Amino acid sequence: MSDATVSVPRKDWTTRLLLLPGVIWMALFLITPILMIVYVSFWTQTTFNISPDPTLDSWKQFFSSTTYVGSLWTTIRIWLIVLATTFIVGYPTALFVGLLVKSKTLATVLLVICVIPFWTSFLIRVLAWRPMLGKEGAINIILQKLGIIQQPIEVLLFTELSVIIGMTQIYCVFMVGPIAFMLARIDRNIIEAARDLGAGFGRIFWKIILPLSLPGVVVGAIFVSVMVLGEFATSGALSGRKVNLLGNIIVTQVGSLKWAMASVVGVILTVVMGIVIAGFLRIVDLKREL
Amino acid sequence: METAVFRLKGVTKRYGDLVALDNVALNVRENEYVSFLGPSGSGKTTLLRVIAGFETPDSGRVFFQGQDITHVPAHERAIGFVFQNFALFPHLTVIQNVGFGLTYGKQPLPAAEVDKRAREVIEMVGLTGMEDRGVDQISGGQRQRVALARTLAMQPKLVLLDEPLGALDANLRGRMRNELRAIRERLGVTFLHVTGSENEALAMGDRVVVLDRGRIIQTGAADDVYSAPASPDVAHFLNRFNLFDGKLTAGKFTGPFGTVPVLAARKSDRDVYAVRYDRMRVMPASTVAHGPALKAAFVASEYLGSSIMNFFETGDGHVVEMEHHLSLGAPDIYQPKQDYLLTWNPDQAIVFGREPR
Repeated sequence: MSDATVSVPRKDWTTRLLLLPGVIWMALFLITPILMIVYVSFWTQTTFNISPDPTLDSWKQFFSSTTYVGSLWTTIRIWLIVLATTFIVGYPTALFVGLLVKSKTLATVLLVICVIPFWTSFLIRVLAWRPMLGKEGAINIILQKLGIIQQPIEVLLFTELSVIIGMTQIYCVFMVGPIAFMLARIDRNIIEAARDLGAGFGRIFWKIILPLSLPGVVVGAIFVSVMVLGEFATSGALSGRKVNLLGNIIVTQVGSLKWAMASVVGVILTVVMGIVIAGFLRIVDLKREL
Repeated sequence: METAVFRLKGVTKRYGDLVALDNVALNVRENEYVSFLGPSGSGKTTLLRVIAGFETPDSGRVFFQGQDITHVPAHERAIGFVFQNFALFPHLTVIQNVGFGLTYGKQPLPAAEVDKRAREVIEMVGLTGMEDRGVDQISGGQRQRVALARTLAMQPKLVLLDEPLGALDANLRGRMRNELRAIRERLGVTFLHVTGSENEALAMGDRVVVLDRGRIIQTGAADDVYSAPASPDVAHFLNRFNLFDGKLTAGKFTGPFGTVPVLAARKSDRDVYAVRYDRMRVMPASTVAHGPALKAAFVASEYLGSSIMNFFETGDGHVVEMEHHLSLGAPDIYQPKQDYLLTWNPDQAIVFGREPR
């Protein structure tokens, strides 16, 4: 008995000690900055100055400006489209790598191949789309040589389409990975059991494979969402400044030292991400899967 | 064999250089319970997978209800398969698992009919009240029943069981055996049951098929296989015989226990002398032996409930087992590391040899 009463506080102490570095780190570099952003969003901004007198001016300015509110909707629209395209491209890939490829070695090799583009920097990967999609880019040249088109397709670059193409390529692998991992964990006997019970491939996919891979889809969707919602570089490099996401607004505002407005957009972006992640976590109980 | 519901003809299956099934032929009658017995790697699971349609044989044919089904895909065969690890659908409830084939199978039934039939089967396997539980909220034995119910709900004529009792504890295994037998009598289903346990094979099967290295090496009623194994290998799997290597010449077998006369010997590619565990007699080391005698030291004993298994070790490290049925009286107590003389009635031995008599 006395052993137990002694060991409990000691265990408690060890736990607290182990938690301490993480707590300090998060408090300094996550909690405080977020609180600061919220605080600064209520500061008074004049053209050349900023003072901590509380005001709602920046918030009012955001919601009364069609540009700012428009960029919120653009962000949400691009996010939903990229989420859909990464899923449409990523799920079949994951299905092939995680389920249809029987050899574990080959599956690993294929996943590594998916990651090869990451060996170059993010900006290079984005900029590499310019010579691909441009008016005199690779796609237009090939299509013209093949005689499929007479005039170059101009809608390919510096449009919303090019932003979506670029983001899909860059973020697709974050969708593939978690889904392939979930699919690889499915016991093959379960699929054979379903086959033995007379179910065809379509039924097996909709009723067994897809529901069992759903946690992977949710994790992949969270990865893609977090990255796309905070994006500014792809839209900056591939849209010719025509597509303004919340991220681009923050960059511009910070660039012109408009800290209060940048903070307002930052808070809105953080809230949107929080809602999105909370929504995804409601679909699947991830705790059960890990 | 015109009444055979199921027939295998010269079935061969290779994985690279490994011959998993070597020219297997088998007839199974309606409402028969056949146990496949063999060590791991003997091809018994492959055989079951070929029958189910998960694997295609390299050569040979599979017939079911008079039709050649060798190239018919699994989901069109109407053969039930109960997996070793049950393979339940983890995201579905008990009743959804049981009704899966009825809802999404080849001939989907209306929801009300599915519900009715699923509940009937669930009642049959004794899981009433568990219908809406998730399959991760029930015990191993209950999962086994769900797996069985899921297969039986399809009303198959042939059910394949892949070591279905292996994952259960001894007590549950006994109960499931009884239930399987009762279900078969009620439904008139033919069962093919793969097992690595000789007790299970002997207890369950009307007929026991012994496999080794992809070949059927003996087929027969359980008691025939038990009392007259066809080869030293069969005797070895049955795990009920002490086997001694030696030499059979002119009606005499010479082994570590001396030379004894042999009345009959079965043809085999090597000379082996087999004595059942419960035919062994233990004498004090000082006894003067008439007939076979083997000096061995007592190692340990194991209590098996209805009998006691005593382990002895000969000078060259060969372990000899002796089973004492408790119904024959209280067991003798042996001293560890003490030498004893093991003997038996040579008429009860089974001899295999290159020179059969």
